[in-house]
Amino acid sequence: MSTSKQQPKYNTREEVDFVIIGSGAAGGVLAKELSTNGFSVVVLEQGQYRTAANFKHDELDVMFKNELLNHPGWNDPQTFRRFETETAVQTPDAPPPAFYARGVGGSSVHFTANYWRFHQSDFMERSLLGPMEGTGFADWPIRYEELEPYYAKVEWECGVSGQPGPFEAPRSRPYPVPPLPVKSSGVLFEKGARAMGLHPQPAPMAILSKPHNGRPACVHCGFCMGFGCEVNAKSSTLAAMIPLAEATGRCEIRPLSTVFRIETNDAGRVTEVVYLDSEGREQAQRAKAVVLSANGAETPRLLFLSESNRSPNGLANSSGIVGKYLMGNGHSVTQAAFEHPLNEFKSVQVTRIVHDFYENDPARGFYGGGGMDARPFLDSTPIMHAMTGLPPGKPRWGLEFKQMLRHYFTHKMSVLGSTTSVPLARNNITLDPNMKDDKGRAAIRMTYMDHADDLAMATFLQDRAVEILGAAGAKEVWRDPVEGGSIQAHLLGTCRMGNDPATSVVDKYHRAHDVPNLFICDGSSFVSSGRGQPTMTIQALAFRAAEHISRFAKNGEI
Amino acid sequence: MTIPEKSRRSFLKSGGTVFGASWLAINMPLILSASQAAEENQQAGAAYENLSAEEAVELGAWVNQIIPADDTPGATEIGVVYFIDAALGGFMASAAPVLRQGLDEFQQKTQSSYPQFNRFSELSFEQQTEMIKSVEDTPLFEMLHLMTLCGMFCLPSYGGNRENAGWNLIGFDHRHAWQPPFGYYDAAVHGEASVGGDEHEHV
Repeated sequence: MSTSKQQPKYNTREEVDFVIIGSGAAGGVLAKELSTNGFSVVVLEQGQYRTAANFKHDELDVMFKNELLNHPGWNDPQTFRRFETETAVQTPDAPPPAFYARGVGGSSVHFTANYWRFHQSDFMERSLLGPMEGTGFADWPIRYEELEPYYAKVEWECGVSGQPGPFEAPRSRPYPVPPLPVKSSGVLFEKGARAMGLHPQPAPMAILSKPHNGRPACVHCGFCMGFGCEVNAKSSTLAAMIPLAEATGRCEIRPLSTVFRIETNDAGRVTEVVYLDSEGREQAQRAKAVVLSANGAETPRLLFLSESNRSPNGLANSSGIVGKYLMGNGHSVTQAAFEHPLNEFKSVQVTRIVHDFYENDPARGFYGGGGMDARPFLDSTPIMHAMTGLPPGKPRWGLEFKQMLRHYFTHKMSVLGSTTSVPLARNNITLDPNMKDDKGRAAIRMTYMDHADDLAMATFLQDRAVEILGAAGAKEVWRDPVEGGSIQAHLLGTCRMGNDPATSVVDKYHRAHDVPNLFICDGSSFVSSGRGQPTMTIQALAFRAAEHISRFAKNGEI
Repeated sequence: MTIPEKSRRSFLKSGGTVFGASWLAINMPLILSASQAAEENQQAGAAYENLSAEEAVELGAWVNQIIPADDTPGATEIGVVYFIDAALGGFMASAAPVLRQGLDEFQQKTQSSYPQFNRFSELSFEQQTEMIKSVEDTPLFEMLHLMTLCGMFCLPSYGGNRENAGWNLIGFDHRHAWQPPFGYYDAAVHGEASVGGDEHEHV
């Protein structure tokens, strides 16, 4: 809907330095960094180019009609199954299994914006804890210390509000802006957690508490999780990165451009990216190198769609592990009602977190770790509250139902537990053999069932949540069932990085082992899942990748 | 963001026919103009665009069972039938045949239970309640339940939530900006008077 006058118009038949596929959390950072470093860049984004002015406080549109999720041009279905022995099926009109936003800025537009750095242990748990039979449990090829400067870059360049917590790894810079003002859920969570001897802390959030980098502070409107920010206070790449990429005059953003194939030549090098433009016409943009940042579901899908005689199992897939080791982060939700109004429909979702259970603890009897936060969750908007926010076993209609809505909407909060996901080959993204989209592209097929340890960790956090909410003085506490997730917003691990081409898809600089001028950087690069808030690490990886890719390009090493 | 598994189950229970996603994407301009018309109709008390007068009466009885009137308005008065009317001509068009078939079957069931009445809406409130209890596990109920909640709490431009009556009912105050304190329990932290009209102890 908006294009900048500053954007160049590159000829598709002339090689640009880079085509970036996807403009989300990673692609937006790479677009800004590579264009700032002097390279010509074309960004292909399948969604629309919305701006803050296009976002609305329209719950029906966003939460029920999937306005930010749907493909803008045609029906693009997905299928889901728990195990590979089952036949995957599509659920029409329900939220899709691979849950991501389409549009310039990608899912950073609609995310909740929890921005936890990984801990040192996240990168080396295989070394610390030993092997896990039958899993893909492995160390990363990089360590926290190598990523730390880029975490600081994310905090300062994208804009993260927070203050250092008691459990976090060493940092080189303070947060650029202080934490957001605490909500009633945060006050209660902090009170209950302290009573339990825990160490609650302000939540690091990619939402500005003060003006920063020419962007305004949050106005606490409350339409945050799932919504686009109307004032550009949420630090999406749409708000924080894309304008800087455009200002270089070297970056062309092409919205409504859906890639369906990456072409390679006989030498095994990428030559051009084939896509359908906003008119549905086939186009092909030539490039010296391609950066694939389409997310942990679309990235493996596109590699599979780019199969050739040279790569019959999909581009960059000589290892056979493209699409495997999908990790989504386990969750548990615990709801509570209090005597007085919390009014959680105001402001951001999360203002306080607990990281006391972040690290693995053998005494628990299972692998894993997690974080907890206090938030309205689905009670932040009225329709979702009415559908999901009342205690179990109560009437869903009639006078008593009406009276409950009147009481609970303002008097509730939830505690969300987020956990590790064990990487498993049986959890994966593949092409559905039967389902295609309206343009004939094979649909995304997700196969996913959480590991028993992930569910045990989620239950452990729910047990702690019940204790904390009780200690905070809740009048009622109830548990949502802990069960395997069939919708994943955290799409991680499907093109994992590593030093060994036999067991990984990209190297430590995000270069595909098989294809010298193809770089893959998004959630698919993850080797382990972290503890439930991956976007901060996706962006730190993107800043780091951009630096190395720029170096390779300048040295003629691509 | 984390995904509402429960809302997904509700979609499944409603038969997955309420929201036609792809149709929606292509017809957005039409929907917007239809919903503006719905808001105008609702305010003027005008005729329905897609429902017959008879269907509107039956649906009015239905949605008033889900959110009845007491000392505050019920779903009908809040404009839910206008919302359904607009939605069936817009983003819920694909649900219209399923809804009409479900209502027909429900009507037959009603007549076999209460042969002395012609229509569900002619039953007493208590009799209506009993009838709806007998179909609580059907896609028809899930569809009308979801439509009622959407019509209660959507933006008024969709035809429901008349003059914010649905929001007012539950204490949702729609503003584009807020300042702390937000609720009772953070008022003390923010050094202000408590919120929510309650001046008792601070936490």
